[in-house]
Amino acid sequence: MSKITINNLYKIYNEGKESEFQALRGIDLSIKDGEIVVIKGVSGSGKSTLLSLIAAFSKPSSGKILIDGENISKLPDIFASKFRNEKIGFIFQSFNLIDGLSVKDNVLSPMVLTSLGQDTINKRLKIALNLANIEHKENQNIADLSGGEKQRCAIARALVNNPSIILADEPTANLDKENSLKFLEILKKFKELKKIVIVATHDTIFDELPFVDKYVDMSDGKFV
Amino acid sequence: MSVFLLDSLVVFLFIEFVILLLNSINQVIVLKILKYWDFNASNTFQYSLEKKNYLVNTIITFTIGVKIILFIFFVKSLDDLVPLVPGAMCATGVIGANEYGNILLLFKIFILFLLGVWMIINRLDLKSKELKFLKKKYYLFTIVFIMICIEFILELAYFINIPLTVPVFCCSVVFVVENLPFDLTTLDIVYIFYFIFVSILASNYYKKISISFILNILFLFVSYYSVTYFFGTYVYEEPNHKCPFCFLQADYYYVGYLIWSTLFVGIFFGISPYIVYSIVEIKNKKLLQYNSIILTVFTVICSSYVLFYYIKNGVFL
Repeated sequence: MSKITINNLYKIYNEGKESEFQALRGIDLSIKDGEIVVIKGVSGSGKSTLLSLIAAFSKPSSGKILIDGENISKLPDIFASKFRNEKIGFIFQSFNLIDGLSVKDNVLSPMVLTSLGQDTINKRLKIALNLANIEHKENQNIADLSGGEKQRCAIARALVNNPSIILADEPTANLDKENSLKFLEILKKFKELKKIVIVATHDTIFDELPFVDKYVDMSDGKFV
Repeated sequence: MSVFLLDSLVVFLFIEFVILLLNSINQVIVLKILKYWDFNASNTFQYSLEKKNYLVNTIITFTIGVKIILFIFFVKSLDDLVPLVPGAMCATGVIGANEYGNILLLFKIFILFLLGVWMIINRLDLKSKELKFLKKKYYLFTIVFIMICIEFILELAYFINIPLTVPVFCCSVVFVVENLPFDLTTLDIVYIFYFIFVSILASNYYKKISISFILNILFLFVSYYSVTYFFGTYVYEEPNHKCPFCFLQADYYYVGYLIWSTLFVGIFFGISPYIVYSIVEIKNKKLLQYNSIILTVFTVICSSYVLFYYIKNGVFL
């Protein structure tokens, strides 16, 4: 059984207005546990919209997204937040880190709402920092980090709650080649951990990677 | 001279009108939701209804906040009208100036009670993944909306018909001892007051929501008479001054607002568990704790006036 099943998904912005825009048009997709999926397409093709719907950041105009058999698009806001906190790790294109806080505090930010004990929190922090290869900068302020380090901090934050699904939206768009290659190394680690990873990108560095299970091309809100 | 020359009344009615307008739009959406809601559907229309559901909830929550403030503003406006209404010495004269006043006041209190119940059901609804109380809460809101419409008509009828040339009766005439029900004496009422209060604490302790519901309704009426005919006299320190409104004035440090608000809020927490249970079949026993705490505060405030008077003067009134 698929972990993620998407059926006939549509997302229309400004519906019924002159500026109406169909971002997604009838998307169907199924992803099994431990699969790495790369969604390729130019800017405006609907990749980010699809990721935001899978993360339950927004709701579709029609269609279903089933995760573990539950239609997450129907979840009321409070449950959508809980689902996101427990099951989703999101890596943003512009990292979305909090300036002024240390790496450690940024990574721990998704755990603020959990009721875990301090020992478990410290253990998870250590694992996340280690996986993202940023443990040596634990107490450094975000403002003092390079682009690649910020990216790794964002990855650690996405991992700290031990989510089963990791969504990465243009993860290498703000990185140089060397740091992009480091990201691919981390992606391999995700594969070993049997996490579902969905990467939305137009970067050619993701082409023909042996550990990627599925490539999907997107254009004009549809898979091609 | 018209009562509409008072700025506070014009502002009050304008805000009431805006709230009515907002809720009329709301009601159209509510009717659509009641008719077409199908949580299992994943089509565009259902998703749009789900989005609108959040909008409607936000507007109703906003309405509740505004209505609470407006209620206090309404009571304050009654006092502001005292100099304009001949014969009136306090809000008693103003509220009884025509046949709409008292019914309007009761309507306002009842609407606030229902909106409070709506809010509890809304919280329970948002805590369930399938929004399973959605229809029930909107049926309840539809009743509230009809009442809000009637309330606005009553407000217009009341304020337009306040006589500015004919003298009205005030508290010294309206509240005489003979007005107590069932030929009870003031002392009887006070004994009943404390007996019901203790019974409420006991029933809340044993979490008997239906008994607490009945006792709280009784307590509401008994408290009204006790405060007006007994405790109030200790606030005024005059044995013949019996009025439920005068202590809302600055002369008595606005203590009336504290007395009535603790009574009404306390009673709300006492009767709502049973009403909520009859609608959604969920027992919200925590509210009974609030009921006990707030009614204790109310009883302590009332009793303290009697006690301090006795300590100061060595006698009761």
